[in-house]
Amino acid sequence: MKCLKTNNENGCALCDATWGEYYREIENEKMFFCCNICADIFENMVNAVKKETGWDHIDSVELHGNYSKGRNCTATSGNNTFRYYFRTYSDGRMMEFKKL
Amino acid sequence: MAVCPVCNAKFDSGDYYTMATHFINLAEDSDAYHVQWINRNISRKKMDITQFTSAIENFYNIAHGGIKEWIINKFVEQFRGENPHPFILKMQSYSKPVMMGYAIEHYFFLKQWVKSCSIIISKTDLDDVQRYEIENILSEYYGRGRKKPHIELLLEMGEELGMDRVQIFATEPLDSTKFAISRWKEITNSCNWICIMAAMHSLELVANSKLNNYGAKYDYFNPGMLDSPLVPDSVKKFLGEGYKSDYSHSFRALDIIAKYCHDYNMEGIQDAYLMSAYAFDRYLEARMERGEMFENQ
Ligand SMILES: [Zn+2]
Ligand SMILES: [Zn+2]
Repeated sequence: MKCLKTNNENGCALCDATWGEYYREIENEKMFFCCNICADIFENMVNAVKKETGWDHIDSVELHGNYSKGRNCTATSGNNTFRYYFRTYSDGRMMEFKKL
Repeated sequence: MAVCPVCNAKFDSGDYYTMATHFINLAEDSDAYHVQWINRNISRKKMDITQFTSAIENFYNIAHGGIKEWIINKFVEQFRGENPHPFILKMQSYSKPVMMGYAIEHYFFLKQWVKSCSIIISKTDLDDVQRYEIENILSEYYGRGRKKPHIELLLEMGEELGMDRVQIFATEPLDSTKFAISRWKEITNSCNWICIMAAMHSLELVANSKLNNYGAKYDYFNPGMLDSPLVPDSVKKFLGEGYKSDYSHSFRALDIIAKYCHDYNMEGIQDAYLMSAYAFDRYLEARMERGEMFENQ
């Protein structure tokens, strides 16, 4: 079974915080998040990447940044990589998503 | 009395243990806004109750520099520090849609602002406080001599950017603005004058140009905008005016608070500030959100 990895290995898949205990299945992976907003953000981001690239699955996402400055990311699917930047409102809605 | 800045839950004065328990319980339930507040204000790393209680105690500690410095430091960290509010980042270059969003949402902010200032006047007999607020109302709302009030400069900016002021009056503010305004209403209705002052005038720090000594990493807006031929005159006038006056407004208010705070419950003043800063954070997002609506039109 294919699943999705991120570089946040200590905590929340989006922000790496170790508070909270919220799980959501995304891309066949039961992922840990600190809260439902981080899960929403991550899920929207995954959908935005798939829409932009046409991929049917994402293998990994590396995220760098935070809520303030937004996040620079690299997603991979098989041999393909896609670099992008995104930022959201604090309720999780997408504010900006662009290909780098 | 201590108050949770996220949900307004109340605790006995100095009872940081119960407050910490409140946060930890809600974090265990993954309550998004509480987790977000902890992540941004305390730590992203999970703590036990003892660690969290002392972190909260530390958070409220004003031993260094008193209430004025505490408010400035907290404000700078949240809005203009290393990780500034996204709106501040947006203001580092000129964006017409963002300024249009600013014109609309800020109109409603100012309508509440003048009410808060006048309630402060009605809740005190202190001359310096009343005079300070009257001056503030004049410069924000009524004008002084030949000087136009801030609200008029805002509307003129909206007009030059292509909006009718009647259209601005008739627009419904966005949810984040409504949330913030209802919280400011609540603060002004239920708090004493010094708490309302801390809640409202601390927000003028956003445009204060003298915060570098307090760790500010970003100006309120890119000052180059004031000289740029690409920026409309009304935008320059609006931003330039606030830049000058909010400096003296915010520091003078904080000096008044520092002068009288020992006659009042310190924690109450801190909580009023925190409640208001939380609302302001959301409100600044509304300016961007409205800007995005114009951008997508
Ligand atoms: Zn998170
Ligand atoms: Zn709470």
